[in-house]
Amino acid sequence: MRVAVIGAGVIGLSTAQSIYEQYHSIVSPLTIEVYADRFTPLTTSDGAAGFWQPYLYDKGNIQETKWNKETFDYLLSCLSSPESIKMGVFLQSGYNLCTEPVPDPSFKDIVLGFRQLTERELQMFPGYNYGWFNTALMVEGKTYLPWLMDWLQKRGVKFYHRKIDSFKELAETGADVIINCTGIRSGELQSDPELKPGRGQIVKVDAPWLKHWILTHNFTTGVYNSPYIIPGSRLVTVGGVFQLGNWSEQSNSTDHKKIWENACQLEPSLKHARIVEDWAGLRPVRSKVRLERETIPSGATAIEVIHNYGHGGFGLTIHRGCAQEAARLFGQIVEQKGKGPKARL
Amino acid sequence: MKSVRVVVVGAGVIGFSTAVCIAEALPFCSVTLLAEKFSPDTTSDGAAGILFAAQFPDIPLDKQRNWFKDSFDHLLAIAQSEHSPNAGVMLSSGWQIFKEVPANKKPFWSEFVIGFRSMTERELKRFPEHKFGQAFTTIKCECSSYLPWLEKRFRKAGGLVEQRKVNNIQELSNKYDIIVNCSGLGSKTLVGDTEVYPVRGQVLKVEAPWLQHFIRDGDGKTYIYPGIHCVTIGGTRQEDDWRLQVDEGDTKSILERCSRLEPSVGKAKVLSEWVGLRPSRRNPRVERELVQLQGRRVPVVHNYGHGGWGVTLAWGTALDALGLVRQCLHEMNLHAKL
Repeated sequence: MRVAVIGAGVIGLSTAQSIYEQYHSIVSPLTIEVYADRFTPLTTSDGAAGFWQPYLYDKGNIQETKWNKETFDYLLSCLSSPESIKMGVFLQSGYNLCTEPVPDPSFKDIVLGFRQLTERELQMFPGYNYGWFNTALMVEGKTYLPWLMDWLQKRGVKFYHRKIDSFKELAETGADVIINCTGIRSGELQSDPELKPGRGQIVKVDAPWLKHWILTHNFTTGVYNSPYIIPGSRLVTVGGVFQLGNWSEQSNSTDHKKIWENACQLEPSLKHARIVEDWAGLRPVRSKVRLERETIPSGATAIEVIHNYGHGGFGLTIHRGCAQEAARLFGQIVEQKGKGPKARL
Repeated sequence: MKSVRVVVVGAGVIGFSTAVCIAEALPFCSVTLLAEKFSPDTTSDGAAGILFAAQFPDIPLDKQRNWFKDSFDHLLAIAQSEHSPNAGVMLSSGWQIFKEVPANKKPFWSEFVIGFRSMTERELKRFPEHKFGQAFTTIKCECSSYLPWLEKRFRKAGGLVEQRKVNNIQELSNKYDIIVNCSGLGSKTLVGDTEVYPVRGQVLKVEAPWLQHFIRDGDGKTYIYPGIHCVTIGGTRQEDDWRLQVDEGDTKSILERCSRLEPSVGKAKVLSEWVGLRPSRRNPRVERELVQLQGRRVPVVHNYGHGGWGVTLAWGTALDALGLVRQCLHEMNLHAKL
């Protein structure tokens, strides 16, 4: 079988990985190809801080909470392997700050050591009077994506630097299944009014004395529109912008000023941090993740597509759970086409 | 008004902390700091500087609690301020783990660090050889930055600094009215204290920027302390061992033990190695006495013997020493009035 994955961000690469892991010994031959016009370090996944944390509340979307948990547990298990450094995965603790008491977040039992903030901790953050401390994971895109590509390349997955203009285009070259991991630009392949850009801008700074992430939450301005400071393995990501509907991938000075002023108020020592660069990216925002099969009629035949896009600002957080689910959907197609082990009878 | 001449001997964390306390609190004193070695050549410089305490047998617990609390609060304020990077003071979270459940699960300092709690089952799973653990946030104070920062503060308060080896306390009696002895291990010869002894410690500084938490084995011998620019891993506790050279056997042992706690440490690049002699004593000596020096009775305030807890107790014991200096001044005034 030939599988064509469109998109080489964390979703595309991890989905290719899951399909390989689960089916390379079941389907023979299994050819996996990845098509994209942007590869690491130029994808949305590369610019993100790489901090594992879902939005505070899943709004009843328990499926997504399950995928988030699966991703966390998977990454946590990777820590004990010598590969963890090459994967860009490590533990980091920190603070979620609110201005009023709120219900516990959906991830409280997924992360490690979740607890309420003590009085003394709240005193460290004037203006905030409620919050939590826990240990979570970092998965840095700029390291994780090259690791994934290397993992895939070693197993015979081929990469093509090419923009795909339609599913039909790939179906015509002989792809049996197309995996659509095109993130924010999925609309170019198939119109989706639910998919919108959630523009974010960040400042990367050199501040190695910071070892905790600090996320603030403002329920009026909404998710990610409130300052956050997320140290990484080399640089610290400073942000707090979420502009729904803004397609600009250029960073601008107005946002920079707002981000910087707010962050310095939150963490005064940033005053001495060396600013390295600004970056802007478009979170592929959707009411919920689109992770489903679609059989598109095409003349006498049909094109099998598995959609896996719309992960908003939690792509890295949810990637593994979604990739495993996409592989499960792929398994259904394998069964239907009679390409599974039963076909050997 | 005639200025009272105070001399502080020692330029490690105890010396400079004490000197700053005195210079800032007593502007009518002229304070001079004398030492043979300055940063980066002091014992304090190589220490990881994680705030953490042991319990001394003969000092009232209340006093030890104050020492720890005063030091912690002082450094916490710096960590939270814009001075954090220049002073080399930062917050550090992590875990202290035990192979056997300790008798005392909540040590006296647990209420003074931040967010102290027992580790959860899931957290302990990462350490299969350990049965119990404590999670908390404390402070890391890197003396290679902190000492120069203190020196600036000291000079700003009018303090004078002089590089000089003091071989004998007699040398100081003519020029100074009050002597403050912060000479650490040097007190063995400077004031003839036979109770001071070295506890040799070797550490490695490695490059492992993905490590964000400290991990310490409750036995105090194996630890991983991520710092601003590198990670300090160690260690050794060799009593009465005066060797300042790096021991290859110790290097191997440290890497092996630390890798067992945190496998990724095995992949870290070793940047440097360092050996320090903890100025150990059954209890730190923070007290005053009158010493007969060349026909005069000179008040001497001692502040030494902090072992491996110098950075942890520096500010608290410095404040204590300041109190003792005030007592000396009070007595000198009474004497002058007679």
